[in-house]
Amino acid sequence: MKERYQNRIELLQGTLDLLILQTLQWGPQHGYGISIAIRNRSGEILQVDTGSLYPALHRLEKQKWIASEWKISENKQRAKFYRVTAAGKKRLTSERSRWAQLSDAISGILDPKKI
Amino acid sequence: MKRKETREEELHEEIRNHLEMAAQERVERGAVAEDATYAARREFGNVELVKEVTRDIRGWRWLENFAQDVVYGLRMLRRDFAFTAVLVLTLAIGLGANTTIFSWIRAVLLNPLPGAAEPERVVELESLAPSGEWVPTSYLDFLDFRDHIKLLESMSVAQPMALAVGDDVYVERVWGEVVSGNFFDVLHVQPELGRFFTGDERNDAQNAHPIVVLSHAYWHSRYGSSPQAIGATVRINRTPYTIIGVAPENFHGSMAGLSFDLWAPATMYGQLTATGTWMLRDRKTRMFRVLARLAPGVNIEQARAEVRSLTAFMSKANADTSEGMSATLLPIWKSHYGIQSGLLAPLSILMGASGVVLLIVCANVANLLLARTADRRKEFSIRMALGAAPMRLVRQLSTEVLLIAAAGSLAGLVITAWLSGALRWLLPLRDAPKLLAASIDGGVLLFTAGLALAVAALAGLAPALHAARENVNDMLKEGGRSGSAGLRSNRLRALLVTSEMALAVVALIGAGLFLKSFYIAKGIHPGFDPNQVALAKFNFSAAGFDAQQADAFCRHLREQLERQPGVTAVSYADYVPLSIGAGSWEDLQVEGYVPGRSENMKIYRNLIAPGFFTLLKIPLLEGRDLTMQDDASHPKVMIVTREFVRRFVPSGSVLGRKVHGWGEWFTIVGVVDDVKINRLTEKAAPYFYAPVRQIYRPEMGLAFYVRTSGSVNEALAALRREAQAVDGTVPISDLTSMNDYVGVSLFAQKIASSLLSVLAGIAFLLASIGLYGVMAYSVAQRTNEIGIRMSLGAQRRDVLQLIAKQGLAFALAGTVVGAIGALILARLVTAFLVTASPADPLIYAAAAAFTMALALAATAIPARRATRVDPMVALRYE
Repeated sequence: MKERYQNRIELLQGTLDLLILQTLQWGPQHGYGISIAIRNRSGEILQVDTGSLYPALHRLEKQKWIASEWKISENKQRAKFYRVTAAGKKRLTSERSRWAQLSDAISGILDPKKI
Repeated sequence: MKRKETREEELHEEIRNHLEMAAQERVERGAVAEDATYAARREFGNVELVKEVTRDIRGWRWLENFAQDVVYGLRMLRRDFAFTAVLVLTLAIGLGANTTIFSWIRAVLLNPLPGAAEPERVVELESLAPSGEWVPTSYLDFLDFRDHIKLLESMSVAQPMALAVGDDVYVERVWGEVVSGNFFDVLHVQPELGRFFTGDERNDAQNAHPIVVLSHAYWHSRYGSSPQAIGATVRINRTPYTIIGVAPENFHGSMAGLSFDLWAPATMYGQLTATGTWMLRDRKTRMFRVLARLAPGVNIEQARAEVRSLTAFMSKANADTSEGMSATLLPIWKSHYGIQSGLLAPLSILMGASGVVLLIVCANVANLLLARTADRRKEFSIRMALGAAPMRLVRQLSTEVLLIAAAGSLAGLVITAWLSGALRWLLPLRDAPKLLAASIDGGVLLFTAGLALAVAALAGLAPALHAARENVNDMLKEGGRSGSAGLRSNRLRALLVTSEMALAVVALIGAGLFLKSFYIAKGIHPGFDPNQVALAKFNFSAAGFDAQQADAFCRHLREQLERQPGVTAVSYADYVPLSIGAGSWEDLQVEGYVPGRSENMKIYRNLIAPGFFTLLKIPLLEGRDLTMQDDASHPKVMIVTREFVRRFVPSGSVLGRKVHGWGEWFTIVGVVDDVKINRLTEKAAPYFYAPVRQIYRPEMGLAFYVRTSGSVNEALAALRREAQAVDGTVPISDLTSMNDYVGVSLFAQKIASSLLSVLAGIAFLLASIGLYGVMAYSVAQRTNEIGIRMSLGAQRRDVLQLIAKQGLAFALAGTVVGAIGALILARLVTAFLVTASPADPLIYAAAAAFTMALALAATAIPARRATRVDPMVALRYE
């Protein structure tokens, strides 16, 4: 069962990092908030698995692309808020350009006439 | 740890927040609170698993799992207490034996100069006789080496000596070393108190500096560690010496494994032995050991080349005394002095044998673990079904094995500590310096830990991997049915038990070869009769006697002893046949015999008093025995042996022939039969006897022989009593029966064969337990099958055969492999098997028969149990 999660982490790794960093661009957010934001902004298509989300958050924090602090949420609850760091912003830029390249390349293969 | 706990709490809270927020949002959208919580949880998935995966990212997992494994492992081991006890005990035997022998090797071979700085730069210079035999070095040769060799930074002589410390009323025997002034510089040792030899004390003037350095232990026991000891006077061999310094506690002298009490200048040698000054001025009086320190940046080969070229020159310059002589440098552990020379071979053999025992222990432990792994298949399959990764199971099992190995090595260390003084058993030390006890230091601990890890890996990895490789479904299915292990596991166990048997056979054959060699050697007649003879050695130089005083003492003592009831003969000599270590030799020139170009004319000899041959029942073949008239004022005479005559006087009359030695001509007056001189197993070599009243060599002391028709113990008591009455200040040593004394010549073989027998016994016991375990397990596994066979009409005999065949097949395979292995390995020990052939068919056959008999016994019990299987019960057996 654990492998199932790990497989998904691997599958999503690059993209999930990108999505998390992008989401945090709009301001600090807690884990639940990030999963909701990704779901809403993708038009309910992307369902982030918690088994991937939390390991990813902790990994990004370990790599110092995001930082965390405990704050009171809008519902007056204590929650762990993540925010993107300067290094994280740089990372986001490079991730985005890599993503653009990748999606261009894939569309090129799927639809060669366009090129 | 603190950090880890807060992180764990934070993670927990973070996920709880997530769940609460998710539930709250559902409530806001109109769900019932309970449903909302449940739905949020379901959406989230397995909370613990998410935590675990997240924790993995952080890398806290390892430690936490390990702690968990340890706790779980301890619980499992406690539950299976009998199983654990057997494993720990087995490991304790294997690890204890190896650690003990390693601690001995470390004390004797690996750390030969405790207390010295950079001991690996210290080497020994040994002179070589023309025959290539090593010999001690004369003081004059030492001076030439010291003054001319450039690649050796410093050089010192060192010679152990038994000394008498005390006054006329009471003397204490201690062991010291006589050394050069720079001895402590060579070893890079600093004084703990006072000073070492300095200034004039370092020059070569003889008998000018009666000063002495004490060991820490001697200073502590004699002077209560008082600083007042410095400057105090101590009487050594009847001369006052001034104490100038104390050596540090960890320094024990220059001989591996031995501990000395004091150090005096070698220039005092003549005074200490009451021989005047000639011994240090005679190039032929070779009696010193030479230690040196390599100059910085020089290796031993370079220095050895320089030594060789110098000796080539010296042997020509001093052709009268040193023709054909050379010298070499040896690392300390290869030195011929000290106990390591005698222990190198037995210790290596013992290390090998205990290694074999350890391998058997490994196989046994692996076997037991495999059996248990099979029993725990259900547990493993359930854990795997619940999501445990295979690697996690491997780690769990490895932790258990590590725990067992740790407990085993602790128990092994207890055995080692208990046996630390047992090194003494390996040495026939009668009259020798104190032996350093082997200690458990960092190096030994590291060795044990390393060994325990290796054993855990060797014995634990296979069963662990095995458990992990199994397929969950198969395990659950198979395990649910009969709990039997898979085919692969059985094959592995068969392989293990076969190699165990093979190793035990190797150990058995090894022990058999040594035992046989020992008994053959024991049966050899030495050529003299040691029964009913009492022995004692007297050290005249320690008493400060010169030749006349020693002669008077001996004559007087002899007269007194001859009056004792039961005593039939008394004599004395400076050498006892079959002593440890070679005797002395003399360069001879035989009238009418022309030696070959490189022929060795250094002939071993004994200096004896009249009556020696009659007492030891050595046949006089020709001529006469010595008489009391053969003394310093009469012409020099000697008696030669049958082999001497065969080699040097092949024709013509022997009696009356002249032989040159000690710078004088001797006349042969008698011929006696050959006797064993150094070893029972030696071939006859030329030998001769000269009157001790004509040639007096005090450095060896003299041995008194008393033959009695009564009890040897009474004769020994009489020896001590009468010697005390004649002069109580002469130190006595080696007061023992001659039978015990010459038994020492077989000591190495006796000890090797008895210790190897013990180790082989242990090996065999372990292998039998292993075989029994495998067979018992196999019968339990096949209960079902046996039941079917029996219900189909198989008789008990058939079942018995079925099981016995399997067990004997293991034993047979093991015997064949073991015998082949032994045949190969025996070549390595041929040198020590003086009398037995390494391929002795009788021993191999006996070992094979013994193995098969034991295997039969180990198989019989499970086989009989198999025949008692009730088919109905067996078929229902789960």
